[in-house]
Amino acid sequence: MPIIQTHELTKRYGRRAAKSVLAVDQVSFAVEEGQVFGFLGPNGSGKTTTIGMLVGIINPTGGSFQLFGASDPKGLLAARSRVGATLETPNFYPYMSGRDNLRIAAAIKGVGRPRIEECLELVGLADRAKHRFATYSLGMKQRLALAATMLNDPELIILDEPANGLDPQGMREIREIIHILAGRGKTIFLSSHLLWEVERTCSHVAIVRKGRIVASGTVEEVVSGGTSVLLRAADEDALVAALEGYPEATSVRRSDDGVLVSLGSDDFAALNRYLAGQGIHLSHLAPHRQSLEDVFIDLTRGDFDSMTEIAS
Amino acid sequence: MKTLSVLLRIELLKTAKRRAFWVAVGIFAAIQTISTVDGVRTAQRYPNMTFALPDSWPDILFGASGPALFFAAVVMILLFAPEFSWRTGRQNVIDGLSKERLYAAKVIVLAGLVLLFLATPIVIGVGGTLFSPSEGGPEIIRSTDLSFLGGSALNLLLFGSAALMLSALVRSAGPALGVLFLYVIIEQAIGELIARGSETIRGVTEYFPFNVAQDLGENLVHYPEALAAQNAFRAERGLPPLEFLDVKVLAIAALAYTAIFLVIAFLSMRKRDL
Repeated sequence: MPIIQTHELTKRYGRRAAKSVLAVDQVSFAVEEGQVFGFLGPNGSGKTTTIGMLVGIINPTGGSFQLFGASDPKGLLAARSRVGATLETPNFYPYMSGRDNLRIAAAIKGVGRPRIEECLELVGLADRAKHRFATYSLGMKQRLALAATMLNDPELIILDEPANGLDPQGMREIREIIHILAGRGKTIFLSSHLLWEVERTCSHVAIVRKGRIVASGTVEEVVSGGTSVLLRAADEDALVAALEGYPEATSVRRSDDGVLVSLGSDDFAALNRYLAGQGIHLSHLAPHRQSLEDVFIDLTRGDFDSMTEIAS
Repeated sequence: MKTLSVLLRIELLKTAKRRAFWVAVGIFAAIQTISTVDGVRTAQRYPNMTFALPDSWPDILFGASGPALFFAAVVMILLFAPEFSWRTGRQNVIDGLSKERLYAAKVIVLAGLVLLFLATPIVIGVGGTLFSPSEGGPEIIRSTDLSFLGGSALNLLLFGSAALMLSALVRSAGPALGVLFLYVIIEQAIGELIARGSETIRGVTEYFPFNVAQDLGENLVHYPEALAAQNAFRAERGLPPLEFLDVKVLAIAALAYTAIFLVIAFLSMRKRDL
């Protein structure tokens, strides 16, 4: 039985068809026990909305989902007691201390005081636990959110952009905590646009674009889903122009090493013949192992204002 | 029962740690104390003025029906609306509370505030009578006092539920407070406009929510002898007599408005995303 199973899950904001926004469009996926599942997509692609529906803060407008096999309101409420989740920015009472904020979460989750102290120790906040949440740095807020997530020792952990705003040390700490949790057999659902982070951390991945899943499977399956080739020629501009007219090319991208082309087939000889016919003689042609980032950019092309958004 | 205890515990923790709550309660208690001390001092200076039970119940309960109304509404909004702007209500739901239970938690807060703002003037006022030289009557509380006490409780419940509803609808403390006070002004303005019209239409204004609340908190509604004395005084000056709806009608109207406000808040919580 999958831990999470969605079936054509849909969320539309606004009632009038002309003005409504389809944030999540018939999304179907399954997360099995023990998987570290990466949910990738550009900002505004519907990742948080999908998670919001799973944790009960957003009402779906179509489709259905199951958590631990439950789909009715009562069953879902019980299932959510086996989930630990944090969405976007950490949301706590600013006037209360970190410990008191955890006391509220612990009361809701039915957890005792010793577990609060354990979680504070685990995320390295025991020394600052008595200070007001408003005085915490973003990294400390993220760690407190992680502590709240782990209070009930959940079977499923949902983390939405957990590394947002963290410095490299903070990111590393979050990654280590995720590894520890995954090592303990927890199922982790990780939403992020930090692709190298996901590629290192996740076993499975789904890429979402404009509310729809455009690729899913194991990281290996998704990465090896297409054929990519690295080309070099004396006149790189002419090479790019010629490739844009090649019917088998699904994407053409300049890189530091040359021009990267994703192909619909692995017939490199046909590509070489085509380019020679266009008067372009290659100095380099080699298969290229795609990274998750390559696949992601191919699948979500046009969704970013600039490449800096991916890098951020 | 376990759920109720959890909701009570988390709301107590949120409230007890909120400085704005203690500031509001402190100011309210200070106002009641000043009023009580004034009553005791007057009784000490002028032997014909009494500050003792049961005669002083109208003065004591005024605190629970007048200023308490606004304090309760303000505190209700301060304890609920920021749950949306801080997104802590959303986090409570993510942590495992359903939206319906989050709403139920706030209804518990409402009940607590009604009790608090009713009990504070009573405790301070009754405490003040212990320091007064005035002699008390044979009974501590009369049926008319109980009627005023009930009216004050309904009054607080009605205004508090309006504040709860506005918190759920507006989802931000400042604008919710603005809408609440604007509504009071608008209702009074509409009432005055309508009062220029026919007698039938004028009667409708008496059923407006704030008017119902005001009348329930008006001691003349609960003390017929005081109303008769007041009307005799007005008649001497050629003024028309004061008329109020029956207490039972006012109580039913207050309960009906409370129910409507709470249902609207519930539906808003259930239907809207957090």
